Amino acid sequence: MIRDFLFFTSEALISIRRSGIMMIISIATITVSLIVFGIFLLISANISNLTNYFSSKLEIRVYLKDSTKQDEIDALKLRFEAMPAVRKVEFIEKAAAWAEFKKNYPKIELNTLVSDNPLPNAFRIVLSDSAKITSIATHLKGFEAVEDVGDMGAIADRITAFSRYTRIAGIILVSLLTFATLLIIVNTIRLTVIARQDEITIMQLVGATISFIRWPFIIEGLLIGILGGVFAIIFLVFGYSFFVMRFQENIPFFPLVYDHLTLNLIYLGILLVGTSLGVFGAYLSVSRTVKNNY
Amino acid sequence: MIRVKNVRKVYPNGFVALDGVDLHISRNEFVYLVGQSGAGKSTLLNMLYKAETPTSGDIYIDNISLSGLAPKQVPYLRRSIGVIFQDYKLLPRRTVYENVAFALRVMHFSRSRIRRQVTQVLELVGLQQKMHNYPSELSGGEQQRICIARAIVNNPPVLLADEPTGSLDPDTSWEIMQLLSKINARQTTVIVATHNKAIVDDIRKRVVAVENGRIIRDEQLGLYNP
Repeated sequence: MIRDFLFFTSEALISIRRSGIMMIISIATITVSLIVFGIFLLISANISNLTNYFSSKLEIRVYLKDSTKQDEIDALKLRFEAMPAVRKVEFIEKAAAWAEFKKNYPKIELNTLVSDNPLPNAFRIVLSDSAKITSIATHLKGFEAVEDVGDMGAIADRITAFSRYTRIAGIILVSLLTFATLLIIVNTIRLTVIARQDEITIMQLVGATISFIRWPFIIEGLLIGILGGVFAIIFLVFGYSFFVMRFQENIPFFPLVYDHLTLNLIYLGILLVGTSLGVFGAYLSVSRTVKNNY
Repeated sequence: MIRVKNVRKVYPNGFVALDGVDLHISRNEFVYLVGQSGAGKSTLLNMLYKAETPTSGDIYIDNISLSGLAPKQVPYLRRSIGVIFQDYKLLPRRTVYENVAFALRVMHFSRSRIRRQVTQVLELVGLQQKMHNYPSELSGGEQQRICIARAIVNNPPVLLADEPTGSLDPDTSWEIMQLLSKINARQTTVIVATHNKAIVDDIRKRVVAVENGRIIRDEQLGLYNP
């Protein structure tokens, strides 16, 4: 078993060394397709990050009637907190809101315009699921103590729709790109198989089994896939961090994806796609060539 | 050991290569298949190791039907049949030693056993001095010997040779045929397709003559022409 594995690996390495330029072309082709694939993954990660960011900024303001008493307010807070999809409930006392307002707009001579605090007591409700914003707002309007509800339902609905469509488009594009990458890899490895057609035929005539012939090619595909993946990742790591740097110089605080977990997952994904397509591509192209001779 | 039963082979272009061929070859026999080029000798040989399949009829080797053989089992059939190809079919970028060792690698032999058997067989065919040369550095006769060495290195019970002297001068041809006789003497069934009249008439064996896809003559210790 180990003897065979070593033999197959050395056969694969010999073949890679012998078909030098073709190997470089194959690895370059796969690197380029994986880079395109990776750029797309980074774009979709950023789009989904952006929609999450905006969704998390969505909140509902619940304005209370002035007649509402403190114990009623406390009870309402508990009830709101118990509702599904509610992440945070914050009570904003009218005096505090008024002080905040005056601080934000110091130029306006408020005391000359209004004698008393015109702002109501309010709740700020942050949701965990922005898609529910409209239904929760409607529900909140039904409470006795509630004067009015301010929500960003229209925006929320748009963001939800946008993120749904980008997700669907993303899945379609990823599948297409995976398929295109597979085709490229199959054809590239097929070239190396065709170049060794005579050798394969001779192996078959002296009694080699399909798997014996296939293994060196599969290891070759694996190596091509790994190398293509590694080069693509190197390119993407440097390219993306350069992009993030330049982008944030111009638009600071824009919510770009740069946490290591997400990025490492994307890079790992590229490596996995590269290697598995390499192996699968080799398997397909050898099988097609080998079948005729038995 | 080998039974060919009513075999017919029609190629896609309509050419009938073999028609109603029946043949029985016993263990350890030495048989010449003679006839013009295109008579069907090669087609018949190719069918014995399933490089080609009959359009109808069947071939049995040790009572195993080749038409019933699954593709997965074909490699194991081929390991029991050594084939000497007309065009040698050597791997150009491997040395003499590697070309022969290749056949044993395919069968998962251990490295030491491969070394022992390959050295032995190269001695038998007289190439031990050239085992590290590449095929292109050798003469036609020597390349033919590599091919023979590869065909017999695992001591298969059957050896097929398709025009083994086709492109060799008379002296070398004669040496190659002596070698095949020697292999036959080691309990190997040998079938040689040839149109070399001098050889057939010189080293007298069973002669099976093929013409237009049919067997027209089958005689022990026969001559090339009746």
